[in-house]
Amino acid sequence: MAAMQKQSVVGKDVPFERIRRITGYLVGTMDKWNDAKKAEERDRVKHL
Amino acid sequence: MIQSVIKRDGRIVAYDQSKIVAAIMKSLEAAGEEDAAEATRVATRATRHLEMNCGEHAPEIEQIQDAVETALMDTGHDAAAKQYILYRANRTRIREANTSLMKTIDEITNVDARISDMKRDNANIDGNTAMGSMLQIGTAGAKAYNAAYLLRPEQAKAHAEGDIHIHDFDFYSLTTTCCQIDIIRLFHGGFSTGHGFLREPNSIGSYAALAAIAIQSNQNDQHGGQSIPNFDYGMAEGVRKTFARHYIKKLTEIIEDTLFTENEAELADSAVNAARQQLDQEPRLDTNAAEFDQLVAQALVQSGKLDSETAKRVVATARRRAYQQTDRDTYQAMEGFVHNLNTMHSRAGAQTPFSSINYGTDTTPEGRMVIRNILLAEDAGLGHGETPIFPIHIFKVKEGINYNEQDPNYDLFKLSMKVSAKRLFPNYVFLDAPFNLQYYVPGRPETEVATMGCRTRVMGNTYDPTRQISYSRGNLSFTSINLPRIALLAQKDEALFYKKLDEMMELVAQQLLDRFEIQASKRVYNYPFLMGQGVWLDSDNLGPADEVREVLKHGTLSIGFIGLAETLTALYGHHHGESDEMQAKGLEIVSHMRAFCDKKSEELKMNFSLLATPAEGLSGRFTRIDQKRFGTIPGVTDREYYTNSFHIPVWYPITAYDKIQKEGPYHSLTNAGHISYVELDGDTANNLEAFESVVRCMHDSGVGYGSINHPVDRDPVCGYVGVIGDVCPRCGRRSGEALSPEKLAELRKKYPSVPTFCGCE
Repeated sequence: MAAMQKQSVVGKDVPFERIRRITGYLVGTMDKWNDAKKAEERDRVKHL
Repeated sequence: MIQSVIKRDGRIVAYDQSKIVAAIMKSLEAAGEEDAAEATRVATRATRHLEMNCGEHAPEIEQIQDAVETALMDTGHDAAAKQYILYRANRTRIREANTSLMKTIDEITNVDARISDMKRDNANIDGNTAMGSMLQIGTAGAKAYNAAYLLRPEQAKAHAEGDIHIHDFDFYSLTTTCCQIDIIRLFHGGFSTGHGFLREPNSIGSYAALAAIAIQSNQNDQHGGQSIPNFDYGMAEGVRKTFARHYIKKLTEIIEDTLFTENEAELADSAVNAARQQLDQEPRLDTNAAEFDQLVAQALVQSGKLDSETAKRVVATARRRAYQQTDRDTYQAMEGFVHNLNTMHSRAGAQTPFSSINYGTDTTPEGRMVIRNILLAEDAGLGHGETPIFPIHIFKVKEGINYNEQDPNYDLFKLSMKVSAKRLFPNYVFLDAPFNLQYYVPGRPETEVATMGCRTRVMGNTYDPTRQISYSRGNLSFTSINLPRIALLAQKDEALFYKKLDEMMELVAQQLLDRFEIQASKRVYNYPFLMGQGVWLDSDNLGPADEVREVLKHGTLSIGFIGLAETLTALYGHHHGESDEMQAKGLEIVSHMRAFCDKKSEELKMNFSLLATPAEGLSGRFTRIDQKRFGTIPGVTDREYYTNSFHIPVWYPITAYDKIQKEGPYHSLTNAGHISYVELDGDTANNLEAFESVVRCMHDSGVGYGSINHPVDRDPVCGYVGVIGDVCPRCGRRSGEALSPEKLAELRKKYPSVPTFCGCE
């Protein structure tokens, strides 16, 4: 059973998931990244 | 007359000169000047010195130690004094480690992971859960012990001060990094996980399940990422068995349906047996399919139950349905495998295993079925369409196999790019790059380069040049050098930079050898799966209590580096993305490091290799320390991180083509592993032509391993996967906003992938 409480609306406080690759691994959401990794991701520029 | 002493914790105890005599004796012994009478004489001198300095006050421990040092030097025992100072420094280190350990455990216990950077060091562990915290406390304890007891003082200093980073330091005394698990060899005859024996699998479903178990079991024996180098070749055996079984089963069913009878299993069996004996093979997807079917049909006609026309039709239908069923089973098996690797846990249940699978070159119909279905399963994602985090998929690109339009697996190469454009995997390893091609022998998949974890590559073998293969080998440990630090210390003096670099590489090589000594003196029973089940090369020749020293030498000791771009900027003013001149300088530095590794390998007949460090757990640490020490230097320490290995800085504007041209040459030098990334925006990634042109450019530019990054966002509420700015393009909500159940129901009519939530509908 999906853990969603009984409520009249759905998704309150549920953030978007943003999957990125850093240091070779994908991470499900950037919440668990350390600060330097977050900074590196923020600084990236596109190449095409 | 000294009566008492103040201890470090403030307690006052009686002064006891015999303790000082004992300490001096140890120092004299260590210096090879053992002499009891002399020890007493020096101790008395130290006591007198204290009496003069402290008067009536009780001395503190530090003052006593100062007095002993002075007394040793005054009496001409310089060597013993040096030993005493080292002993003292070491005690201080251990004491400080203890204090800082308690502080660390306090932080793990009391601070939320969202606030604590330390708790997010390994993004694969949730530092807010019980098992995650337990693992972090264990890690902290092991690190403190290892630094205090296992490192030489100069190594401990270099690690603590950020000259080097010893990776997976918590596992320093325990195990090695990673291994390419040859599942074909592992599965033959079955294997044991250490908790029970598993028979040789007999269907694609159990092949896939056991492959996940093999990765999980090995993850409990090693600290790095686990990998399967031959996923397609290995799983193909399972497909073969499944197809043979379905072929007979479907044949039985269709005969029964045709004759309106039951129990025709015997007839089907005997007909298939006739073909089996004639052709000496099981029913196969493709191999001798027409002959096989013809023989089966003949046998059915001979039974007198079916005429020739019907028999042919029955067999053809059986084959078609067996194919369909096998394909479905294979998809389900691959789907289960991906789900398993994202949900099963190892290491005290706190993290999913770091897993990789390599595939793409098996051109048999069974191998192709595996490749297609693993790609489709990855494409479909997890239960709510989430992008799978594990395993890392690595597609092996090879001319003549899958790279060109006329190649047998070209269709799968195309499919892989469609999937990668959506899911970020697969990555691409290029077997045609000269430094990979040199090992390649057609028809021997173990000579195909495979990668594991974030980029580890193990191929050449100085220890045993007859075994230059990817299977059953791995990295033993690796340590990275803070290259920008050396450049900053050299103060634009190139010769000084190289001198310091050589010193640092020597220090690291010694540290890797010290660590090897610990790893090598372990026994087979210390690695019950890796060695006990013969996963590691030649370990199947060892008994349970044998030392693993010799077989471990098939593995690599790797020296890594981070921040080539910042290094060049610190030394010469700009980096290799900015000029060809700097590119030449960069290649000079990295060639120099590679030559050092090659020389060490030859000298010691071991595998020293050069790693383009991924910076896991290291991202930020070096820079933080260097900012404090050197201040903010533009282009060097002015960001929160140093650039990954030899990469062009992520913030530097450059075209994909130029980036690949610049980074390609470094791949041939970094034989312990490397990867190049190209960043695309979401729309470009979905343009498959653009995507393919980037992959082909990598292939043609000597890149060994590469992948393409693009944003993959998902709204867990409406299930949308793609790029999401501030507002979700499907449901229109912002992050954290709620939707009404009515709105959800309406969306679900349009998009079947909208997740279902219990409790609100």
